Amino acid sequence: MKYSLSSIGQKQIMAVTGLVWAGFVLSHMIGNLLIIAGPDVYNGYSHALVSNPLVYLAEAGLVLTLLFHVVKGIRLTIANRRARDTKYALTPNGAKSPRFQSRWMIFHGSIILVFIILHLLSFKYGPGIREGYITTVNGVEMRDIYRLVVEAFRQPGYMLWYVIAMVFVGLHLSHGFYSSFASLGFYHPRYSPILNKFGYLYAVVVALGFIVPPIYVYFVL
Amino acid sequence: MAAETKSLDSKIPPGPLETKWENHKYAMKLVNPANKRKHTIIVVGTGLAGSSASATLGELGYNVKTFCIHESPRRAHSIAAQGGINAAKNYQNDGDSVLRLFYDTIKGGDFRAREANVYRLAEISPNIIDQCVAQGVPFAREYGGYLTNRSFGGAQVSRTFYARGQTGQQLLLGAYQAMMRQVAAKQVTLYTRREMLDLVLVDGVARGIITRNLVTGEIETHAADAVILATGGYGNIFYLSTNAKLSNATAIWRAHKRGAYFANPCFTQIHPTCIPVSGPYQSKLTLMSESLRNDGRVWVPKQPGDKRHPNDIPEEERDYYLERVYPSYGNLAPRDVSSRQAKFRVDEGRGVGPTGMAVYLDFRDAIKRLGKKVIDERYGNLFAMYEKITGENPYEVPMRIYPAVHYTMGGLWVDYNLMSNIPGLHVLGEANFSDHGANRLGASALMQGLADGYFIIPYTISHYIASTPLPKVDTNHEAFREAKADVEARLNKLLSVKGTRSPDDFHRQLGHIMWEYVGMSRNEAGLKKAIEEIRKLREEYHQNVKVMGDANYINPELEKAARVADYMELGELMAHDALHRNESCGGHFREEYQTPDGEALRDDKNFCYVAAWEWGGASTPPVLHKEELKFEKVQLATRSYK
Amino acid sequence: MAGTVQRTINVKLRVWRQPNRDTPGHFEEYEARDINTDASFLEMLDIVNERLIKENKDPIAFDHDCREGICGSCSMVINGNPHGPELGTATCQLHMRKFKDGDTITIEPFRARAFPIIKDLSVDRTALDKIIAAGGYISVNTGNAPDANSIPVPKADADEAFDAATCIGCGACVAACVNSSAMLFMAAKIAHLEKLPQGRVEHEQRVLKMVKAMEEAGFGNCSNTGACALSCPKEIKFETIARLNRSFLKASVKRRS
Repeated sequence: MKYSLSSIGQKQIMAVTGLVWAGFVLSHMIGNLLIIAGPDVYNGYSHALVSNPLVYLAEAGLVLTLLFHVVKGIRLTIANRRARDTKYALTPNGAKSPRFQSRWMIFHGSIILVFIILHLLSFKYGPGIREGYITTVNGVEMRDIYRLVVEAFRQPGYMLWYVIAMVFVGLHLSHGFYSSFASLGFYHPRYSPILNKFGYLYAVVVALGFIVPPIYVYFVL
Repeated sequence: MAAETKSLDSKIPPGPLETKWENHKYAMKLVNPANKRKHTIIVVGTGLAGSSASATLGELGYNVKTFCIHESPRRAHSIAAQGGINAAKNYQNDGDSVLRLFYDTIKGGDFRAREANVYRLAEISPNIIDQCVAQGVPFAREYGGYLTNRSFGGAQVSRTFYARGQTGQQLLLGAYQAMMRQVAAKQVTLYTRREMLDLVLVDGVARGIITRNLVTGEIETHAADAVILATGGYGNIFYLSTNAKLSNATAIWRAHKRGAYFANPCFTQIHPTCIPVSGPYQSKLTLMSESLRNDGRVWVPKQPGDKRHPNDIPEEERDYYLERVYPSYGNLAPRDVSSRQAKFRVDEGRGVGPTGMAVYLDFRDAIKRLGKKVIDERYGNLFAMYEKITGENPYEVPMRIYPAVHYTMGGLWVDYNLMSNIPGLHVLGEANFSDHGANRLGASALMQGLADGYFIIPYTISHYIASTPLPKVDTNHEAFREAKADVEARLNKLLSVKGTRSPDDFHRQLGHIMWEYVGMSRNEAGLKKAIEEIRKLREEYHQNVKVMGDANYINPELEKAARVADYMELGELMAHDALHRNESCGGHFREEYQTPDGEALRDDKNFCYVAAWEWGGASTPPVLHKEELKFEKVQLATRSYK
Repeated sequence: MAGTVQRTINVKLRVWRQPNRDTPGHFEEYEARDINTDASFLEMLDIVNERLIKENKDPIAFDHDCREGICGSCSMVINGNPHGPELGTATCQLHMRKFKDGDTITIEPFRARAFPIIKDLSVDRTALDKIIAAGGYISVNTGNAPDANSIPVPKADADEAFDAATCIGCGACVAACVNSSAMLFMAAKIAHLEKLPQGRVEHEQRVLKMVKAMEEAGFGNCSNTGACALSCPKEIKFETIARLNRSFLKASVKRRS
C-alpha cells in the first residue's frame, strides 16, 4: 500500500496542504487590510511582494499544494460517495448531529476553487501597467492594484460574490483547521478542545479580515 | 417413573485429586504435529468456550470449522457477563489457594458436582488470567500497575478479576481476537449466521452436523473427526430470562435426541437482582449486578397490597425481610436463597410496583451514610442503566428488582475429558453440566468456559483423535443425507401447520408454565401439572403454530418455531428431573423437602448423584443413568447462611 | 413516575422494507398503537411484528440479541440517528418514553456499501470482522503467557485501554459517517491494544495491516466530522481517531526507512 494512496495518507496530505493554505490566507488577509491605509501603502506593499524573487518559489509551492489538495479532495470525495450506495432519508440530527460544515467540505471547497481561479484572473492576471493601471510611489513606477481593487469592489455584484466566497472560506477553515491537526495525529485531552476553539477563532478572523476591504470600499470609501 | 440402568463411567483418572490432571495429561496420547492438519474439528458456538477452543485448536494446527448463529462471533452472549472471573491467584495474600477455590465451588454447588472436574478447574484458573492478560484483556489495576480483585458471593477471599462491569465482554473479545487471528491464518474457517439443527452420527460416533444458513435458508452438511458443542445454556426456555434472544437449546437438544445424555436438567439458577417485568410485551430481562446488595437494603411493605409511594411508607411499616430472616448474612444471602425469599414476599401479596412482582432495593440509608458521591462512584453506571430502562432515578426512588432465570447448571453429560456418552461429541461451557453442581457461584461461569476451551479440550480432544480409529467420512455418507432430510422435513412440517398462534405466543405460555411450576420452588403436584400442561401445549403447538414466510431465505419466525418445538420437549424433561429429585439442593428447591425454618434439605443418602437422562422417544419416558458422586476430599455439609 | 403510572402512546412508523440485497427497497408505513412507554424500542417492533403476523403480513426483519446494549447486534437508524436520539445508548436500550404520542418515526437500516442489506433493517457487518482478522489481536498462543502480574501496566493506561476496548462492534460509527468510514471502530481496537505493553510489540504492523483491510472492505475515508463518536453507544472518543492518524504516520515513516 502506497502511503500517498492510502486512506489515512491521503487525509494527511489534505491536512498538510490545507494548513499551508490556511497560513497563506492569513497573511494574504493581513496584506489586504492595508487598503485602509490608502493607495500608497497598499500599492507599495503589493509591489514589494511581486518584486521579491522568492515570490516565484512561494507561488509554485502554493499552486502545487493547491493542486494536491484539490485532486486528493476530489478523489476522496468520489471514493466516499461510492462507499454508500443508497441514501438515507434523514441524517444525524439533534444531540448526535456533527458540525454541519464538516459534511459540506467538498461544496465549500469547490466554490473556493472557482473563486481562486476567477480571483487570479481578475487581479493577478488582470489589467496592469500596460492597461493604464499605473502609479508612482516614492518615485517608483508600479502597478496601481489599489485602483483595480477599488473599481472591483464598487460593483455591488462583485462585492457580494466576494463576501459570500469569504464566508465559505471561513466555513472551510472552521472545520479544516482543527481537522488538519487531528489528521496529523494531534490529540490531547486538554489542548485538543482549546485547539478546536482556536480553529473557529482562526476561521472567523480570516473570513472577517477578508470581508473588511470590500465592505470598506463599498460603504465607506 | 423412569427405568434405571447401570451407572455412568466418568473416566476420572486414578490417583490423588491434586495430581489427577497432571498425570492424565501425561497419560493421554498426542497427535503428531504433521498429522494435526489432516484432522477436522467442528466447533459450534463462539462464546467464551467455543472461541477459546477454536483459537487454541487452530494454533495447534488442527483444521477447525467454527459455527455461530450471529453475523459475527463476537456477539455471543458471554459478552454480557458483568461481574468478573474467579482465579486462585492469591495475589491478595488473603489465604486463597487452589484448594479453597475448589472447596468454595463444590460447596456453592451444594455438593452435586464432580470433585475431580472442579479441582481441575481451580487448578487451571490462574493460567486463564495469565492468558487473558497476555491477549490484552484490560483487567482493573491498582495504581502500582498490578491487578486488583474484588470479592463475590459465596467466598471469603478476594479472587475475582474484573474489567469494570464488562468482564465478559473483554474476555470474549480476547478469545474472539485470538480466533480471528487463526481465521486469518486459515486454520479456522468461520461459518456465521448458521444454526446447528442436527448432529450426525456414523456408526455411533459423532462425525458431523447439519446447519441452516440463516441468510439463504440452505441446509448444509459438515463432516469432521470430532464435534464440539459450546452452545450455551437453555435458560430461554422460560421465555423471560437474562439470556440473549438467540440463545437456545436446539444444538444440545438435537444431540440429546441423537443419544447424548442430558444431565441435571432441573438445575436452574435464578438471579435475585434483575429489573422486573414491566408489561406483557417484555421480551427479556436485564440483570443488575449482584454487587448492589453490598449497599442496598431489600424490603417490602409490611401490609399486603400497600400501594403507597415507597418514599411515603414509614420505617416501621417496612419489612427488611432478608435482614430479618438471615441476621448474619442479611442482604448478602446467596443467590438462590435471596431469590426464593423475594418470591415468598410476592406470594404473600406484598410485592411492589405496577405488577406487584417486585421488591425494593433501597439505597436511601447508604446515600445518607456514605454520601451520593460514594454511591455514584460505586454504582453510577448501574444506576444509569436502571434509569435508562425504567425511567426512575434510584437516587430518589428505591430500585425495584425481582429474580429472573439466569444460568442453567444442567446440560449435556460429559466425562472427565468433556466428552459426552457419544464418542467424538465434546461439550464445553454452559452447554455441559460439569462443574457447578446444583448452583453456580458468581464469577465462575467465565472461568469454566475458558478453562474448557483454552486448557482442557486441546488435550482431551487430541487424545480422542489419537486413540480412536476414524475412518474417512464425507458428507455423501448415508447418515448425512438422512439427517439433512430429517431437518428439512421438520422445518417443512412447521411451515405447513399454518395455524393461528405465533411461535412467540406459544413460547410465552410455555415460559409461564415453567416459571410457575419448574421455577424458584417446586412441588410434586405442580411438577405433575407442568408435565401435563406442557404435553397439551406441545400437541397444540404442532397443530396450531403459525410460521410466516418460507424456508428459502432469512426467516426469524421459522428459526423461533424450530427452537420452541425443542423447548416443548426439553421443558418436560426438566419437570421430570425435578420431580424425580426428591430433595432440595442449590437451585432446585422442592417445597416438600425443607427444614422447619424453610431452608433447603438435601438428601445425600439417596440423591448424591448426577441424573443423566437418555431420550426415550416422543411417547416413552426418559431413561435415567446415574453417575454416583464420590467425595474423597470434602466432607458433605449443610449450606447455611443464617 | 414511569414505574407506577403506566402510559401508552400511538406512533406512526415509516420502516424501510427490502426483501433482499438485490431488490430495491422502499418505505412502508405502520401504526403502532397503545404502546406502553416503558416498552423498549425493540419491544415496540415486536408488537408491530406480532400484529403483522396476525394479518398474514411479512414481519419486519431486524438484528437483535442481548437487548442490554452489549452484543452490538441492533443496528437501525431512527429518525436519522444510528441507535436513535439518545446519546450513549444502543437501540435495544432506547425506550418508548423518549417519544411523544403521535410522533412519526422513520426507521432505516445502517447504510454503507460495506454493510449490504440482508433484509429490511438487517445488514451484514462481517466487514468489521475482516478488519479485526487483519491484525486486531495480540499474537500470543495459548500457553505462552507469563504470570499476569509480571508486566505492571500503569492504571491510567489500563483505563484508557479499557475505554477504547468497550467498542461493541455495532457499526453505528460507519452508519453515522457521511463517508461510511470505519475509522472509529478500527481506531478503538488499535488504541486498546496500543495502550498495553503486551500489544505495543506489533503495534506498527497492526496499524498498517488494519488500515489496508479497512480500505479493501469498501469503507470510505475519514474526514473528521466526528459524527461517529456522537453516535457511538459506548461513547468512544473522537480523539481515538487522531491517535490512529499519528500511529499510521509514524508506522509509514518507519516502514520506509
